Amino acid sequence: MSSIDYNQIMSIGIYGSAIGLILIGLYAVLMKKHLTKIVIGLSIIDAGIHLLFVAIGYIDNGTAPIFSPKGLEMMAAGKTMVDPVPQALVLTAIVIGFGVTAVALSLVIRLYRHNKTARIDQIKSLKW
Amino acid sequence: MKKVLVILMLAVIGYSLGTSFSTIKFGENRIGDPKEEKNVAAYYLNRTPDELSVANVITAIVVNYRGFDTLGEVSVLFLAATGLGSILYRRRKKGEHPEVITKPASQLLQSGSKLIYPAILVLGAYVFIHGHLTPGGGFQGGAIIATGLLLMMMAYKDFEIRHNVLTWVESIAGITFVSLGLTGLIYGKTFLENFLPIGNLNDVVSGGIIPIIYIAVGFKVAAELAGVLETLLSNKEND
Amino acid sequence: MVISPVHYVAVPLLAAFLMPLLSKINREFVRIIPGLVLIYLGYVSVTLMNQVAETGTIVETLAGWSAPFGINLVFSPFTGFLATMMTAMAFIIWIYSYRFKKVDSEPAQRFYILQMMLVTGTIGIVLTGDIFNFFVFMEITAISSYALTAFYRHRDGAEAGFKYLLIGSFASTFILLAIVLLYSQVGTLNMAEIAQRMHTVPMPMKVSILILFLVGLGIEAEMFPLNGWAPDAYSQAPGPVGVTFAALVVKAGVYGLIRVVYTLFDIPSVGEFLIIMGAITLVISEVAALKQTNIKRMLAYSSIGQMGVVLIAFGIGTQEAVFGALFLMFNHAIIKGLLFMSGSYLVYNNPEKEIKYLSGYGMKMPVISLFFSLGALAIVGLPPFAGFWSKLYILMSAADSSLYGLIALILAVSIIEIVYYFRVVGRLYFGKPAEGSIMHKATPGGIIAMSILSITILVVGFYPDIITSYIHNAAEALLDKAQYIENVLPSVNDLTQIQN
Repeated sequence: MSSIDYNQIMSIGIYGSAIGLILIGLYAVLMKKHLTKIVIGLSIIDAGIHLLFVAIGYIDNGTAPIFSPKGLEMMAAGKTMVDPVPQALVLTAIVIGFGVTAVALSLVIRLYRHNKTARIDQIKSLKW
Repeated sequence: MKKVLVILMLAVIGYSLGTSFSTIKFGENRIGDPKEEKNVAAYYLNRTPDELSVANVITAIVVNYRGFDTLGEVSVLFLAATGLGSILYRRRKKGEHPEVITKPASQLLQSGSKLIYPAILVLGAYVFIHGHLTPGGGFQGGAIIATGLLLMMMAYKDFEIRHNVLTWVESIAGITFVSLGLTGLIYGKTFLENFLPIGNLNDVVSGGIIPIIYIAVGFKVAAELAGVLETLLSNKEND
Repeated sequence: MVISPVHYVAVPLLAAFLMPLLSKINREFVRIIPGLVLIYLGYVSVTLMNQVAETGTIVETLAGWSAPFGINLVFSPFTGFLATMMTAMAFIIWIYSYRFKKVDSEPAQRFYILQMMLVTGTIGIVLTGDIFNFFVFMEITAISSYALTAFYRHRDGAEAGFKYLLIGSFASTFILLAIVLLYSQVGTLNMAEIAQRMHTVPMPMKVSILILFLVGLGIEAEMFPLNGWAPDAYSQAPGPVGVTFAALVVKAGVYGLIRVVYTLFDIPSVGEFLIIMGAITLVISEVAALKQTNIKRMLAYSSIGQMGVVLIAFGIGTQEAVFGALFLMFNHAIIKGLLFMSGSYLVYNNPEKEIKYLSGYGMKMPVISLFFSLGALAIVGLPPFAGFWSKLYILMSAADSSLYGLIALILAVSIIEIVYYFRVVGRLYFGKPAEGSIMHKATPGGIIAMSILSITILVVGFYPDIITSYIHNAAEALLDKAQYIENVLPSVNDLTQIQN
């Protein structure tokens, strides 16, 4: 197998699964009727985006950007380090996603308390 | 009908995303040689061991180079906990106490959790204390500790963390973070600048204020996640 | 300690973290601390605006790493003007919300924390010079808005909040995707450096990134068709929060849109796109406002319409048009603030917030009705109130660009505005009071706040020159992309850590 094929398979695999996650999440948010499933859909969209972000930072033949003794060894052996910036940004984005999910779930609990149901088609005081 | 429209739209989105990303070659080295410093990533990789004495470049980015983002992130966590509290707030009637899960957990969970719980706490503490030397850091360590607390909460229905303690830890950790930043400002330098000596690479005590900030962040994240879990768990429906 | 832009963010954050502890000492602290913080920020604003007028844009680097290796805050005549405006409005809102509703101290504490963080978030959006930092502050604003929308327990706040959350999450998703693509192309996150390197990005990719940004930011800026969340959020949120949405949050969204379009990207035809979208937004929302029976929803649709005019003016893009747009943003913040404040009091005891219950309130609540009428007159653009000048400048700039169709459109829509606003005013003064309608006396804080806004409207209406010099500088600073880049990246080869 030439290296170009391998790279193509990898990129289709990783980008494809990340975009697939985003699409699955979008489908859940748009089509599902149960509020909790909608919130889970939001989480899945977040996961897909984070995966995309980290995938962008990968460099072939790369190692983790840590200058530990083992890392320094690997550098001497000729490996490069992957891009550290997307990983740092994803760290922040994960925490923010958690914050939004927490608030969303609390709203679901409130809606359930009020309407005794958690299905969107039965909660219709405001025009959707 | 709606289903067809949605699937169509998803196909369009998927296709456009796919074509956009196919132009970004996977694994391509866009940084170049770190010594040339053509862009920010190269700069970080090149300068961190010398200028900051921190082994984990990602920690250096999160806490020092882009520390302001981390401050924003910490406030997002704080906001989420506060928002949760405000949305789920119910005035307690006299004599009512929070209902908890009523069905007892299985024997396996109860004995197993007692064994694992201290190990999880130690692991979490290790991760956030060594954030600048090994993969991990404040957020990861705090999440591990909160997971341990969740395990205990699920196994024992009378395991309670007093909300007071959590509030104190949260606030003090947050204040530490902002004060460290402001101290930099007072000393005539910029906000969040490193004002302690940086020590040697791969020592536990190195990197100036970076480990201190990450430890504060670890405590804060653990306290906040535990608080969120506790608020959600103690709101069993009855009315 | 030198006064610098980071105080806008660090001080309120410190206060927010301290609030849970301080409230244990004394319950009243939670109401007073936001006021103190905002007074201090007002002082910071004045100092910094003076400094900017003398020495030019202030660029503050954080953590000691100069741009683009660290994050930096940019206080230019443009961003400084917006930040000062937001601080002033936040202070007036605090006066208004002091004892707005009698709540026990624990919700009050959370309310003030959320409110302060909301203000911090919007000011942070305006001041930052880094695109990911922009995203973080946008999320801070968003989460506090979701929580504040659902604050009251007995209304449909949770439902409005959930809808807002869903749509807001889409906004963050699109913006994050745009940042991912952008970083992969230019390798940096600093706005000035992105502007510098934008010409190296291939066109199809540029268009995709721009579309993602426009959709994401359009949701925050309430552009059609992405503004479905706004009427529900505005009407269900507590009174002071509705004012904050109209005066601060949407301005930050429009700022983001403008910053991306003007500074980051260099595609010329985006201006026409903005004009078209702005016009569609204007027409559809004003017609929708006509049909509303709930006063807060009517005001919300009117807000969206005004933002449509702002977008049109930004789309035209000449110096005069941008000046008009910024003036309109300023006027809209003040006037819509006054309308929301007085409107909240008018329907205080009226859970449906329906207009038809307001018959005859002109006699029973004379002061508040007067405030509302003043706001209505100002917003449709009648002289000698403040709204007249901004409309005039925008129409003049449209004439200069030979866009006569736009002039006709804006004038026609003004007639619609007059109809639905005077419908309310007429009902206030000429209707017969219904049986058993209870009105609510405004708190002293509310009266003071509304008076300050009314006086400002009158003063700016009679002497617009007080404010026009600031807006002129702001417009100049916005349009001058090269200056922005030069301010932030003084010498691209200087990579060393700086000492202040």
